[in-house]
Amino acid sequence: MVVFAGVLLLTSGFSFINFYLVLLGVYCVIGLVVTLPLFALTANLAGIEVDRQIDKVKVFSGDFLRVRVTIRNVSRRHFDFIEVHDQYPETWILAIGENFIASRIEPGSSMTFSYILQARMRGRYFLGPTEVIMRDRLGLHYYKRILKEQTEVLVYPTWKDVRRLESFAKQRQLGLMFGAHRTKTVGMGTDFAGFREYVPGDEFRLIDWKASAKRGDMVVKQWEQEKNVQIICMVDTSGSMGNGYPENTKLEYAIRAAVLLTHMGIERKDLVGTCVFSDIVHGYIPPGTQPNHMYDVLEVLAMAEPKGWSDYETAIAHVVTQSKKRSLIIWLTDLERSPAPLLNAMKTLVANGHKSLVISPFGPWFEAPVGQFGPVEKVLSEAVSEELWERRNKIARALSRFGINVINVGPEDFLPTIIRSYEQAKQRGVATF
Amino acid sequence: MVTWILRIASIATFAYMAFLVYDILNPNDIWHWAVPYEFVVTVFRMLSLIVFFLATTMVSGLVSAFTGGALPENVIVGLYNTLVLRTWYMQPYGLADPLTNIQQVWASFQMNLGNVLVALWNNTFLFLYFLCAGIGIALFLQSLVRMDHRFVGGAFISIQAIVILAAFRHLIVPDISPFPADFMEFFLTQGQILAFVSFAYLEVSYQMIYSSSVGKPVEDREETLKKQLLALRQATRKQDAIERGEKVSTTGMSRSTGATAFSFLREAMERKVMGSQSALESLDAVSDVRRLQIYVDELLQSDSRARDELTAKAAAPSSSYVIGSAITGSAIRFLTVVAVSFILMSPNVIRLLLNLPIGIENSVEMLQPEIVVLFLVPIVGVFPFAAALISWLSKREVVEKEMLTKEEKEAMEKRKKDLARKRKETEKARRARAKARKKRKGDESEVDEWDKALEDTYKR
Repeated sequence: MVVFAGVLLLTSGFSFINFYLVLLGVYCVIGLVVTLPLFALTANLAGIEVDRQIDKVKVFSGDFLRVRVTIRNVSRRHFDFIEVHDQYPETWILAIGENFIASRIEPGSSMTFSYILQARMRGRYFLGPTEVIMRDRLGLHYYKRILKEQTEVLVYPTWKDVRRLESFAKQRQLGLMFGAHRTKTVGMGTDFAGFREYVPGDEFRLIDWKASAKRGDMVVKQWEQEKNVQIICMVDTSGSMGNGYPENTKLEYAIRAAVLLTHMGIERKDLVGTCVFSDIVHGYIPPGTQPNHMYDVLEVLAMAEPKGWSDYETAIAHVVTQSKKRSLIIWLTDLERSPAPLLNAMKTLVANGHKSLVISPFGPWFEAPVGQFGPVEKVLSEAVSEELWERRNKIARALSRFGINVINVGPEDFLPTIIRSYEQAKQRGVATF
Repeated sequence: MVTWILRIASIATFAYMAFLVYDILNPNDIWHWAVPYEFVVTVFRMLSLIVFFLATTMVSGLVSAFTGGALPENVIVGLYNTLVLRTWYMQPYGLADPLTNIQQVWASFQMNLGNVLVALWNNTFLFLYFLCAGIGIALFLQSLVRMDHRFVGGAFISIQAIVILAAFRHLIVPDISPFPADFMEFFLTQGQILAFVSFAYLEVSYQMIYSSSVGKPVEDREETLKKQLLALRQATRKQDAIERGEKVSTTGMSRSTGATAFSFLREAMERKVMGSQSALESLDAVSDVRRLQIYVDELLQSDSRARDELTAKAAAPSSSYVIGSAITGSAIRFLTVVAVSFILMSPNVIRLLLNLPIGIENSVEMLQPEIVVLFLVPIVGVFPFAAALISWLSKREVVEKEMLTKEEKEAMEKRKKDLARKRKETEKARRARAKARKKRKGDESEVDEWDKALEDTYKR
């Protein structure tokens, strides 16, 4: 604006031979450049240091995080006007405060500002870089510097399902074990289970003499022991699992289901492992009960990205070599690959004495409702859905021959299905140890 | 406080600048308050004449086609009397009485249009002076509120545009001719005083914007935080009320607390958290707002500095420094600008310094304003050059911290290596499986039940 005014006044002054206009034009132009050397003398952004601190480096999706930014002037000059913009991931929400500051800073002093972010969507994120802009007093000149330093934050999958489960359990005042079925095995153990007739070969110490005397026939006492199940959750992270609305993709639901399953397993002393795979095995957390088990699972799930293709055989080969105990293997996969590798994988799995169940999100149920499409897209989408459905039925039929169930799920029934499957496994005592 | 002082100074300098422009141009007799009205009237008069001309041409053409080429005199006369005279009879350009003769009408039309165009040309400039003044005042008022350099610059240019337009019309305008060789004489000329006041307006206004931009963000932050916390608390209360089944008003909160300006709550509102019973279905959004409330409460309780850091209270600059530095900075700038400009503008000073040949000294060009360019360009170039030189000399090594720390980099490197190794191993295993399968296929004659199932899958 000042440049424009200067040029306008000068040219007008020359055109109309007017010394006043020329003088004012000269004032503007000189006024614009006269402070440049002084500004160059003071403006050295190397003297600015920015330090970013966060309360936690690992948070759950949906959690809040305070970011503190401290700006230090380590030089011997004052900065008349300094703007600092601290950048945060696009998908996150600025909940409270502002992520920038504009002020002046004295030599050797510092200023701190903070803001609260809500972490959205699991994954590895970086806070930063920080943009520092220094302007002269009158806003005529400026220097910009970007401080590249970033702060890594790992966002775990959301914990809201677990919270909801816990709150429902509390509401019913039955504790966390509400609805749980204990898996019991008659034989060794400490809990009395009942009597049965003596058969040759039974140990004499098991004979209940009192009861035998009353009945007039030999009976033995039976004891039972609670058994725990071992489950391995196979989370498919192939590219097709990433389809659907953001934050509501098939993969996100699969991850939420895996988190819920692991939590329930830990609560009930069952062993739940997790394998994250696509064309390679990205991570495998063997079934365990150690205190950090949940965090290990969360970490491996946090990193999952929908890409590559589903190599079921590689995944199962890895799991089978790692886990020798009989397990219930729950596949969370959309079955959009050809069935041959899946059947081969199931073959390996059954051959190694494991049980299996497929919980399969059906693609079209996770995508835009058909009502939002135009007539042509509607017909096409219905045709594609039908074909997919047919294909998946064929696979389900093939698997059912070997006692492997395929459960088709949508966004609404994904989590209830995983809870139900777990309860049934507990009831039936599948893969106990 | 400092901003208010500078705001008053800005008002004073602008008022003085505007007054000087008014006062210096006053002898030209251009400040007639009726000018804008007359301009508008003239424009409409011209338009009415053009409309009349087009209307009569069309009507006469159409009518003559039906009446065998005869011009309908009465129609044209009637139209002229109705459209022009009746509508504009009070105006100085129209005729007072109705016309009855077609020739008279055409002559009047030609004469009127010529007069109107001349009047319009004159009135346009008179109008432009008022327009520039109006725009200048409007932008100046905006600059006081919005604190934006563009408004200050706009106000400055608008006021100076009046002088430029007047100079174009060869009116009496501020001028410094011949340019004095004596500094004090130069300093006290009317033109110089106006130029100095105009420049002072720019300087003071820019200082005002600076003062506001370093102090305001901190004030705004505090205000925003207050609003956000209040809105958050009200939102939580509202949710409680909804959960209890009480009726709550939907708009009261957002209007009273400015919650709509709070992005987090706005998003929650978009997800229909507040205000309706069905909102409870959106459990996530409800719990987000509630958790944020709990998080903020805990934070403010556990960390005494949390509130100050959220508002960045400590970052506010001291008023005394801002005012002190504004005065010294501006004084230095005024002195430098006036001194350098005087040296540039006065050829005599340069002439004495350079000891020019007599032929150049006595040339007419020395008395023309363009001579300024001869010295202005190199001198203006000196400042950026000096700045570049200083930056180069005082260049300090920027210790740029890396994007990631060493550990983070190592971890990333390790992850990459792991991934590559896994891919390699998987590929190897895959090949081995394929090989084994091929071999088995060749050996076995019977079909495996799994293979049969697979075949069936494809068959159906």
